[in-house]
Amino acid sequence: MRVYGRFGRIIALSATAGLLAAAAGCSGSDSTEDGDRKTFVFGASDDPKTLDPAYVSDGESFRVIFQVYETLVALKPGTTEVVPSLATDWTVSDDGLTYTFNLAKGVTFHDGEAFNATAVCYNFDRWYNFKGAQQNGDISYYWQTIFGGFATRDSDSAPESSRYASCEATEDSVATLRLTQPSSALLSGLVLPAFSIASPKAIEEGGTDITVTGDSIAYSGGFGTKVVAGTGPFKFVSWDRGERLILDANENYREGRPQLDQVIFRPIADATARMQALQAGEIDAYEGVAAADIEAVKNVGQVVERPAFNVGYVGMNQKVPLLQNRKIREAIAYALNREGLLKAAYPEGAEVANQFLPPSQWGYNSAITGYSYDPERARQLVAESGETNLTVEFWYPANVSRPYMPNPQAVYESFAADLEKVGFTVVPKTVPWTPDYLQSIQADGKGQLFLLGWSGDYADPDNFVGTFFRETTAQFNLTDPGIQGLLNRALAETDQATRQKQYEEVNQLIFDYIPGVPFVHNRPLLALGKNVVGYQPSPVSLEYFKIVNIEG
Amino acid sequence: MSTPEQVAATRPTGGDEAIGSPRPTRGLRSDALRRLRRNPMAVVGFTLILIFVGVAVFAPWIAPYSPKDNSWLSEVRPGAYPGPSAEHWLGIDPLGRDVFSRLVYGARQSLLIGVVSLAVGATVGVGIGLLAGAFGGWVDTVVMRLVDIMLSVPGLLFAIAIAAMLGQSLTSVMIAIAVVNIPIFARLLRGEMLGQRAADYVLAARSLGISRAGIVFRHVLPNSFTPVIVQGTLTLALAIVEAAGLAFLGLSGSDPSAPEWGRMLTDAQVALTSAPQLALYPGLAIVLAALGFTLLGESLREALDPKLRR
Repeated sequence: MRVYGRFGRIIALSATAGLLAAAAGCSGSDSTEDGDRKTFVFGASDDPKTLDPAYVSDGESFRVIFQVYETLVALKPGTTEVVPSLATDWTVSDDGLTYTFNLAKGVTFHDGEAFNATAVCYNFDRWYNFKGAQQNGDISYYWQTIFGGFATRDSDSAPESSRYASCEATEDSVATLRLTQPSSALLSGLVLPAFSIASPKAIEEGGTDITVTGDSIAYSGGFGTKVVAGTGPFKFVSWDRGERLILDANENYREGRPQLDQVIFRPIADATARMQALQAGEIDAYEGVAAADIEAVKNVGQVVERPAFNVGYVGMNQKVPLLQNRKIREAIAYALNREGLLKAAYPEGAEVANQFLPPSQWGYNSAITGYSYDPERARQLVAESGETNLTVEFWYPANVSRPYMPNPQAVYESFAADLEKVGFTVVPKTVPWTPDYLQSIQADGKGQLFLLGWSGDYADPDNFVGTFFRETTAQFNLTDPGIQGLLNRALAETDQATRQKQYEEVNQLIFDYIPGVPFVHNRPLLALGKNVVGYQPSPVSLEYFKIVNIEG
Repeated sequence: MSTPEQVAATRPTGGDEAIGSPRPTRGLRSDALRRLRRNPMAVVGFTLILIFVGVAVFAPWIAPYSPKDNSWLSEVRPGAYPGPSAEHWLGIDPLGRDVFSRLVYGARQSLLIGVVSLAVGATVGVGIGLLAGAFGGWVDTVVMRLVDIMLSVPGLLFAIAIAAMLGQSLTSVMIAIAVVNIPIFARLLRGEMLGQRAADYVLAARSLGISRAGIVFRHVLPNSFTPVIVQGTLTLALAIVEAAGLAFLGLSGSDPSAPEWGRMLTDAQVALTSAPQLALYPGLAIVLAALGFTLLGESLREALDPKLRR
């Protein structure tokens, strides 16, 4: 130090002071308790794509949107039960074509605009009038799932007809929704964040342009990225992509101000890094705890599980001659040691699946049992099948973790060994999850045997079995009038008791046909900090931060 | 340091009489062999290689189970993998397979990749080196600049790029490692040949009217070959490590359940805190196999070095 002289010392001192101040500033910004303010930091695996609800279908975007916006009807926390939200009550006409929603009064959007029936219908009309790239299946996925097509059909992949007829603001606080054909899944579907009601002013001021180049979508409009206004318990503050997205409590929330003052979403791609961030106290929660990490997380916080509302399965493409032989399909069902795999590599709550519907979903057929692990029976069926060339490709995705399949490669290795034991020759095929795997399996139908699964979006059996088998999909290539006819009838049926019977029956048909072997209903795990209370895990991964609090 | 060679080399007179050998001169080969036998480093290296090759060749007889047999899946729980027992000498892996059997079969894979990639790399490299060394002139310039370019890219990075380009297969891994070795052999042989070309015996042969091809193949090449043999042994060690490295990075055969040391390391990563032994075994196997070839290679280099020869 001496060489600097007096002047140098002063500079050095002030530099040190500056560094200290900077360090203090850094450590303060993310801490759970910033003075008296309660901040809840969620370690997400990625940034949201955009906060324009109508443009997204992914979990990371939904998680944020779910806190900022509200839908007409919502879910009771921790369940799939539909409860009032922006609509306080509603009536459905006998023909199932007219839905009349009575709306909550005195509600304002975050930008100060009034929430009313005109605003609701503005949103519905906006979705129905999507054009061009907006009709891309990746962008308006849920509109197409629940309502079908659009006012004009600009994309060959868009559905030809629409179930949506009109939305009318019959009174200031009464919105009347009319359909062209009944859909039993409508109310369950309307809870999806994709049907969030946004401020019309924000939508118009922000702009909703998108540009699609190849597989990539650019959300160039300001709505959802800069201008965000819903009616939810938290309002948008700022978004520094790759760093953090900040929400503040909405002081005027219709149910009263939430307990948390601030919510921060931090994208951390690596699961191990998320665990380390939780250990270091940098985040208060993350999802996707690996089975082997449970103990480590419990040392610093809590592990909570979501109800099993998903299914992982080994699909069998009916395009493949070998798999058209039912004896072979049955042999595969008996050959797979599903229970052994789940016990060895899945968290404790994972259940062996025997149908494509999770047990908590009505329509599940509890009379179905069977295809338990029996390699001897499998060998016998293979011999009876008359097939001589038992070579089959088995596809699995690389470098990805899904709620129903934390480690696809382990599942593959385990099942491939099971199949080889009974005489099959398994050829492994693997590509990265997005876009290659989904494209190969779901669009191009390249899979023979393949690993895939589904996490339920809303509580309707059609969301599971309907998605897979109602129409002939590239992944299964299943054409069976019995199964498909019944699924179509069940979707249009308006009597709940009849519907339930129909789905139970269809599950038996699917079980007998074996278009694939469902193997797991997993309970995805969430990690929470020690002092987090009120976090209610949701079967459909939609968790309300408005009921979360931080104690101590 | 007192390795036998160095001690012998510093003696004023030859050590032959001292150990009672009556022959005043001997051929390079037998001389080298004698040096090797006396070198503990070489003996250890040779023993390691013998074990490695033996295990690889006789894997089906040594391994108690098939490497893919997952019959013990029911004994495994997340984060808790059964350790060594009488039935499973090194325990069971997270997918219910016998670790010892996988390790034994893994030797096979390593040896196969090592030998094939060495054979291909050395053959092509020697061919290129021969071309440059025999012709000289512009051929030499062009070939050697290409070799220089190849050498300027770090080996493993080069191998990764090639393996990634060729796609997931064992062949592409072998090609990748072979290609990395080509410039090393080419440069080595060419340098050695240039040195030999100016030697007196070559001049003598030329003055006797022996054809250029005759001189290259009958005189220069055989005399330039010893360093290639040494390099070959060392390269095997490198190939084993490189193959494991590529497998660790996910570049290996398309079958993820194939028993491969590098892949076993990758798979052990997720359970590193709960079952570190799963990473230790393949790691140790890689180190020992590579060490065997390195020790033998280094001893060979010393034994064959004419400067140390008396």
